[in-house]
Amino acid sequence: MEEQPQMQDADEPADSGGEGLAGGPPQVAGAQAARSEDRMTLLIRLRAQTKQQLLEYKSMVDASEEKTPEQIMQEKQIEAKIEDLENEIEEVKVAFEIKKLALDSVLMDNMKHLLELNKLIMKSQQESWDLEEKLLDIRKKRLQLKQASESKLLEIQTEKNKQKIDLDSMENSERIKIIRQNLQMEIKITTVIQHVFQNLILGSKVNWAEDPALKEIVLQLEKNVDMM
Amino acid sequence: MSVLRPLDKLPGLNTATILLVGTEDALLQQLADSMLKEDCASELKVHLAKSLPLPSSVNRPRIDLIVFVVNLHSKYSLQNTEESLRHVDASFFLGKVCFLATGAGRESHCSIHRHTVVKLAHTYQSPLLYCDLEVEGFRATMAQRLVRVLQICAGHVPGVSALNLLSLLKSSEGPSLEDL
Repeated sequence: MEEQPQMQDADEPADSGGEGLAGGPPQVAGAQAARSEDRMTLLIRLRAQTKQQLLEYKSMVDASEEKTPEQIMQEKQIEAKIEDLENEIEEVKVAFEIKKLALDSVLMDNMKHLLELNKLIMKSQQESWDLEEKLLDIRKKRLQLKQASESKLLEIQTEKNKQKIDLDSMENSERIKIIRQNLQMEIKITTVIQHVFQNLILGSKVNWAEDPALKEIVLQLEKNVDMM
Repeated sequence: MSVLRPLDKLPGLNTATILLVGTEDALLQQLADSMLKEDCASELKVHLAKSLPLPSSVNRPRIDLIVFVVNLHSKYSLQNTEESLRHVDASFFLGKVCFLATGAGRESHCSIHRHTVVKLAHTYQSPLLYCDLEVEGFRATMAQRLVRVLQICAGHVPGVSALNLLSLLKSSEGPSLEDL
């Protein structure tokens, strides 16, 4: 039997903190982000490890505080005791699992409830947003209509003004004056001609009362003059 | 110090150390290489030893798992293992010791009866694994299993402790254990 054992240290940092990222992205920024993520994962993993190891040490300390039986027991008795202890451990484990399941189910219920409420909230928010959109559209349309009506009224007004101006200008235009003068002239001429006809008929000492045509001419001429 | 104690040192950060004890150097070396090839999130350290006690002159980290490799072809291997077991503290056997029987494939060469090893493992309340370390495929699988067990024993897996694993591995029939 050899007293001098051979010792070989085979170290290999199989650090898979960069697993999958060994052939990393060429951009520096991308690689740096990945590295910081690795560090985070590494730190979280180390934390979990340290917790677990602390738990182990604590449990060993607790176990060593328990008093071990002093007397030397038979092997069978030791085995029986070991079995009892193992059964105890199993029972505790099972109870723990049951409790965990119960808690998990309650937790699951709460989380489901939360999810449903969140969905509801999102739906209501979406609806209210849609309604606001519609309101906004309608307001825009109203504004547009108002503006349109305003412009139309303006147009009407300008048209009316234009017409009035035209009318006034027409009345004051020169042409009308000339035409009026001509008209007056014609009227005067007609009056003169009428008077001439009247005087002709009267001067001829014809009995114009007997002849209806002559009577008509004399009387009518008077009327014409008056009508002007 | 002639007795190995499990928790006498503080653990290294993100480090898990396994100690392979056995007489067949070549097999141990091959197993160590297979284990180191495994993809593992923590740093692995593999120590090989022919027998215990280990020399106290070497500064070594805390050992998380001891695997005693027993070659069923040689009685000397069994004897060596039994001798080395004396130098291991009792608290190691709470899940941090494992027996690995190799050479069971070639029935004709076996000089140790399987029952002997089974009884040995039962006495020490530790799991017994069978693996033909000479076959590459089996060795790789066994290396994977050992890496997982090592991670649990080193405390790198939250929620599972070595003792927990031990009680999980025990079957009701008695000293025979199937798979991890």
